Amino acid sequence: MAETRLPRNSQTHLGRVDGDLRAEANVRISSDGTVTVTGGARFDGSADIHGNFECQRFRSEDGTVHISGNLTAQENIEARDAILEIDGALKARHVDVDRRLKVGGPAEAEKFDVGGVLEGAQTLSARSVSVGGRFHLGGRLTAETVEAGGGVTLQDVAIDTLEVGGAVQVGGGEVRRSIEVGGRFRAERELAFGSLEVGGLAEFAGPAHGGRIEVGGLLNANRDLAFDTLEIGGVGRIDGNGSGRSAEVGGRFSVAGSLTLTGPLEVGGSITVREALVAERLELGGSLETRRAVLTGPAEIGGAVSTREGFKASRIRLQRKSRARGPLVAERVELERGAHAEDIYGGEIDLEEKADARRIFGARVRLRDGASADEITYTESVDIEPGARVRSPPQKAEQLPTFPL
Amino acid sequence: MLDDRDTPRGGARRREATDLYATVLEVVKRYHGAARITRVSYGAGMPVDRLRVLVERLVALDLLRSEEIDGRPAYDITPRGQEFLSTYWKMRAFIEVLESNPDGRPARRRAERAPAQ
Repeated sequence: MAETRLPRNSQTHLGRVDGDLRAEANVRISSDGTVTVTGGARFDGSADIHGNFECQRFRSEDGTVHISGNLTAQENIEARDAILEIDGALKARHVDVDRRLKVGGPAEAEKFDVGGVLEGAQTLSARSVSVGGRFHLGGRLTAETVEAGGGVTLQDVAIDTLEVGGAVQVGGGEVRRSIEVGGRFRAERELAFGSLEVGGLAEFAGPAHGGRIEVGGLLNANRDLAFDTLEIGGVGRIDGNGSGRSAEVGGRFSVAGSLTLTGPLEVGGSITVREALVAERLELGGSLETRRAVLTGPAEIGGAVSTREGFKASRIRLQRKSRARGPLVAERVELERGAHAEDIYGGEIDLEEKADARRIFGARVRLRDGASADEITYTESVDIEPGARVRSPPQKAEQLPTFPL
Repeated sequence: MLDDRDTPRGGARRREATDLYATVLEVVKRYHGAARITRVSYGAGMPVDRLRVLVERLVALDLLRSEEIDGRPAYDITPRGQEFLSTYWKMRAFIEVLESNPDGRPARRRAERAPAQ
């Protein structure tokens, strides 16, 4: 195939080039609009091309190739130890750039592989995008997989997976499968995602909804957050409402609105829900503070629970030396040794040794040796063992007062 | 990575040794066992001679491993390297919060008074 050679430091006007084009370093190419190379184009150093550039294959080595128009390659674009700057659109099959790729217009390829920095002012469409360093895009990103070792700034996204080592800022959109971020993740607007795993800090400025969320460090959601499962090892905060299937909090978790779960809530650390907590069941090793809590199943409380309006479950068990502030309501309420509660409403209420309650309203009430209560109102039976203490005589009633919640 | 350009809310933060090590590990991780030193240098934004020193140290600490591919060394992250990154990012997140004022503005940091890098 014929080869057209451009010598070092030359200036050339080109239109159609039949065969290959080989340019030495520091060439300037002008055109009437488009340079078309029917074969491969190779640049051995820097080049400045005015107009659009079309070729079968594109390769550059060392230096910067700048194209003021569009770059279209039928096959691959390679830039070895080189920078590629395109003011217009970019289209190729595979794009592999060692140092830096800058595109002013829309970019489209099956695969982008950039060692250093990828900057796009408009949209980018690809099957996969891999960037060793930083990746910034001003328009919509459509891709299956996106990987970057450094910082990533994106606007709207429609991608399957996003894996980033450093800091990620996303405008909004959808990550259909998974987001994995080593460092910091921030979504500015509404974001939908399959799963989110953040080693460091995750921030949602807009509403967000997704599947599994795992945060090793910190989670901040400024608006509502919907999830399937939520696991927080560190500290989590939702300024709106939280909703999902289940949540596990190892550290500290606060919700400014309500938290609604169709499944269990497990808290090893502490959780504050300013409005209502709704869940299927609760296992609390640490502390819970909320306006009201309603569980359809049982609650095991090992630490401290505090409500203003009450805590309702099918069964409540306050474990040894645990504390409850606010009314407790359940079909069965058990206070283990040394546990303390205020008002208790229930069908069956059992206080073990050294357990203490303020007022008890129940069908069947039992105070074991060493347990104590201020008042007891019952409808069926009361069993006060020797050594148990009731500050006022127990009152039998035809009917108990209306239970809270 | 959290370098000078990517620090939260525009506050300048000087890259310290641990940041550089984490940066290198993150870039190497992207290449799935085939990371060449020149390619890593572009991703990490540091010259090859300086990078070689860091990479040798990371290999010595068993955070990276080296393997010959086509007669040239290629690097991959080890499980210990993954563990380092996981701990590093968790700590960075907490440090970021601790160094912020309660109103959300960044606290004045030591590095902000340091000369530009």
